Amino acid sequence: MSKELRIGVFICHCGLNIAGVIDMGELVEYARTLPDVVYVKDNRYTCADPGQDEIRKGIKEYNLNRIIVAACSPRMHEPTFRRCVSEAGLNPYIFEMANIREFSSWCHPSTPKEATEKAKEIIKMAVAKARLLQSLDILEVPVTNKAMVLGGGIAGINTALDLAGMGFKVYLIERGESIGGHMAQLDKTFPTLDCSICIEGPKMVDVSRHPNIEIISYADLLSVEGYVGNFKVKVRKNSRYVIAENCTGCGECRDVCPIEYPNEWDENMGVRKAISVPFDQAVPLVYTVNMDHCIECYKCIDACGARQAINFDQKPEEIELEVGTIVVSTGFDIYRPYDNSLYGYGRYDNVITALEFERLILAAGPTGGKVIRASDGQKPHTVAFIQCVGSRDVNKYPYCTGFCCMYALKNAILLKEKYKDDVEVYIIYMDMRAHFKGYEEFYQRARELGINFIRGRAMHILEDPKTKNLTIRTEDMTLGEPIEVGAELVVLSTAAIPSKGTDEMARILSLTRGADGFFMESHPKLKPLDTPVDGIYLAGCCQGAKDIPYSVSQGSGAAARAATVLSQKKWKIEPIIAVVDPDKCKNTRVKCGICEKRCPYGAIKAPEGEPARVTIAMCHGCGTCVADCPSDAITQLHFTDAQILSQIRSALEENPEEKILAFLCNWCSYAGADLAGTSRFEYPPTIRAIRVMCSGRVDKDFVLEAFRLGAGMVLVAACHLPYDCHYISGNVWMKKRTDALTMVLGKLGLSPERFRVEYISAAEGVKFAGLVEEMTEQMKTLGKEKIQAENEKLQPTLERMLSRKKK
Amino acid sequence: MPMKLLKTETENQLVVERILHARRYSLTLDRTLCTGCGICKEICPREAIEVKTVPKVEGDKARPPTIDVSEEKCHYCGICESICPFGALKVTVDGEHVIPVIKSESFPQLIREIEVDITKCDVDCVDCEEACPLNLITVTVQTPDGKEVKDVKSRPDKEKLKVNVEIKKDLCPCCRLCEVKCPEGAIRVRKIFHGIIRIDREKCPEDCQDCLDVCPIPGALYLSEEDGKVHVNELFCVYCGVCKVVCPVEEALELQRTHIRHTPVRSGAWNKALEKLTSTEEMAKELRTKGSAKKLESVKKRVAWSE
Repeated sequence: MSKELRIGVFICHCGLNIAGVIDMGELVEYARTLPDVVYVKDNRYTCADPGQDEIRKGIKEYNLNRIIVAACSPRMHEPTFRRCVSEAGLNPYIFEMANIREFSSWCHPSTPKEATEKAKEIIKMAVAKARLLQSLDILEVPVTNKAMVLGGGIAGINTALDLAGMGFKVYLIERGESIGGHMAQLDKTFPTLDCSICIEGPKMVDVSRHPNIEIISYADLLSVEGYVGNFKVKVRKNSRYVIAENCTGCGECRDVCPIEYPNEWDENMGVRKAISVPFDQAVPLVYTVNMDHCIECYKCIDACGARQAINFDQKPEEIELEVGTIVVSTGFDIYRPYDNSLYGYGRYDNVITALEFERLILAAGPTGGKVIRASDGQKPHTVAFIQCVGSRDVNKYPYCTGFCCMYALKNAILLKEKYKDDVEVYIIYMDMRAHFKGYEEFYQRARELGINFIRGRAMHILEDPKTKNLTIRTEDMTLGEPIEVGAELVVLSTAAIPSKGTDEMARILSLTRGADGFFMESHPKLKPLDTPVDGIYLAGCCQGAKDIPYSVSQGSGAAARAATVLSQKKWKIEPIIAVVDPDKCKNTRVKCGICEKRCPYGAIKAPEGEPARVTIAMCHGCGTCVADCPSDAITQLHFTDAQILSQIRSALEENPEEKILAFLCNWCSYAGADLAGTSRFEYPPTIRAIRVMCSGRVDKDFVLEAFRLGAGMVLVAACHLPYDCHYISGNVWMKKRTDALTMVLGKLGLSPERFRVEYISAAEGVKFAGLVEEMTEQMKTLGKEKIQAENEKLQPTLERMLSRKKK
Repeated sequence: MPMKLLKTETENQLVVERILHARRYSLTLDRTLCTGCGICKEICPREAIEVKTVPKVEGDKARPPTIDVSEEKCHYCGICESICPFGALKVTVDGEHVIPVIKSESFPQLIREIEVDITKCDVDCVDCEEACPLNLITVTVQTPDGKEVKDVKSRPDKEKLKVNVEIKKDLCPCCRLCEVKCPEGAIRVRKIFHGIIRIDREKCPEDCQDCLDVCPIPGALYLSEEDGKVHVNELFCVYCGVCKVVCPVEEALELQRTHIRHTPVRSGAWNKALEKLTSTEEMAKELRTKGSAKKLESVKKRVAWSE
């Protein structure tokens, strides 16, 4: 690219959308006067083929090396025009858009003169930035086309099978001794009442037999390094003290083992031997010695005999795997309501959780399928199910677990079908949520079977100390009064909670968790399976409680998402990343590491005594580290300090004290401002907006520079706290930074309304328009004189503060 | 029902329980039988047992240590029950008395060899009953047709009467007092534990007889009139070791068990227990006699020991 700047400006009429308000002729003339602009052309529709042809033609004929399209929002057509200039042989990153439709013609239709002036300045700002734009290369990283699935529940099983079916090698990592997850613990499944292990068992066997799947069970995830396409994973295979290849799963060792310990798989209601499998259908069918309980009598060694499968010298083994993508399907735990003294769980023998009930009624369970009470071993004649224990409770877990209504119905129906008129069943519930295919019909079936439904929140359970029978104090909303229900067995439908170790997993994988503790997806609707880390996807209950069909669908969905990466040879990465200047980084001299703390993706590391380093493929380009670097050693490509400062300076060249200079984050606030335009909300044409990818990029120097230049008002707008940020925590750091800045500016004598931080979502066009109106009003009330006077007073301090930026 | 782990303590009894919905376990320690020797603690594979010494009250006799069992740790294997020379512990599963490690032959039973030749017994004699320090012997006299005779002295048909000596073997530590006290030589007892016990005259503090106070077998330890210190009579010692537990001076009392009489088993757990209670050499001897070369090797690796 030649050193001489040759800028081409293409101004779009957008039919009458722009030309209907703005004087296009004046705009074209104005654009011609801007520095380094050698060619200006207006089109009726620039995005249409003829319009794009004009751009290509202009580039060729006038040898243009910077392109500006003044038209709609870059959120609309930036990719279109980037493609267009790249087809004409230019680098796509020398292109800049001036948003004169959403930001001018659409929001100022009744003041065409002011709208035209504003459009001119928007183009001027774009030209200022374009003069500093650099060619950037799209980065490519190789892709290891193997996948790792974390957690072998029904979601993980489906992910593994689908990916393996597509031809990808899959490592299925399971913490427990067997895959299967919670589904393998259940008796029957709703709404069809088919036996859970009968339908899951064959899938588990499929997994173990699939040539593309390697099950690594009884293993812990130790660390994950790398980035999309190139993850390096360390896994520890714990010692089973049994050689998997030699174990035939016969169980002769179990038969001779003297030691029994509570079986967690049975919710500690039954026992297993110190050498055993958690359940008969375990996959892989390899026995495990529990060294916590083994007394090392070696009877098992004798029983195993010539097979020689038992080895007490086995050591844990650490292995390293290389994979391209990771699917997290680590599931959930069931809440055990020991802390709810009103229901007496753990105190009363005959109060159990629904998962314990599953193990009771299951034919292969510890009681052989007999529903009996712990207190006397007798079959109960009245059973009450209490819903929403822990769930939908503002003091515990505010969310709805979602599947409890259905499993309570299922268990009630099983009881009724098993014991007929010999058992009376009550369900005490707040709302009956039966909202998927076949679920409502299932609810009707329960009603027809004569199950008693009592709508109300159970308040208290009392136990008769002699008979151990229970009395439930509840309200009946249909009667509108408190009632008492007697029951010989009470089953609590308790909440699903994030599985143990979710926090550790979040740390290892750099994932975020929501307020409920489950993993956060990238977007609740449009990216429900993605995480903020490229190449890591979510499936099943680790993202939030869900039932079996939903988990299965997510498993397959996550497999498809992972395949979008795995099927590529190379993965493209947008080059809008942070770059460290090692000469400026002060971490070489003093311990700094601020950038490392700012990065939500673990993409930047500042080892002691060395300059910070960015792992390009992990950087998402928010720019938070850039803004907070105390020695300005980090640059965000395409959003450099120089580029943004040039936009600020050109925006405030004329009548700065009458303007609001705004920094809008791309994903929420800029989109919200766009929406104000597309909704045709009219607001005063006082605002000049600069787009940044994230509010975290807004350096305090930008604000200071704006005030130094005399800006009337400065606005920083971001995604809503705390979870809306597209870059996880950019808005949080922005808030910390601007809170401090507000204090400093206040002390220097700046009127507090002149520096504003707001949170505007992509849906809040009306809020944006209202805000501009309000700020303009405040600006008028303050008056030009007062603003100028304040600025004059501020000037010397600001000059001093900004002196290092000037070089 | 979620699992419950309970501990109930009364003056004479300590009960730990593990109650599951479908199964319940208990371990009962009979404090009237327990001497606090702590042999059970030595070999508990879960380290669930603790020996607590009871602080001495000035002027009072020393009191035997008490045993505490952790309800969190105990897994009801029954090793403690199998080894207790005084039979103070009892495991039940679902209410039935079961010793899991004995059932699976993972642990041996102690051999209590006590033979009474009742043909030698004098119908008037109850010396053994009186001699037993643990009150485990009951001597009864019967008529030929099996009726119990209360007033032996007044009976004219003395030569026709039959003597019956009943011994609660399970609770007997085999001290041999009855054997020695029997005037007719009718009883023969072989000890369970064999060993050596030594008191270091130099180190044994004066005016202390704590070991003597807690020893369950009278005469096994005695106060010498010569030097006012405690001496050992190994004839009666059962090598339970409670003396060592309470001895306030390190190395003043040395106890070394050399042999334990037990039913034959092939069990690593027993080898380990044997090593702890006796010595590595004793265990090696046991392994060699059984020809368990592979296990010997495995154990060697685990305990980092070589011959």
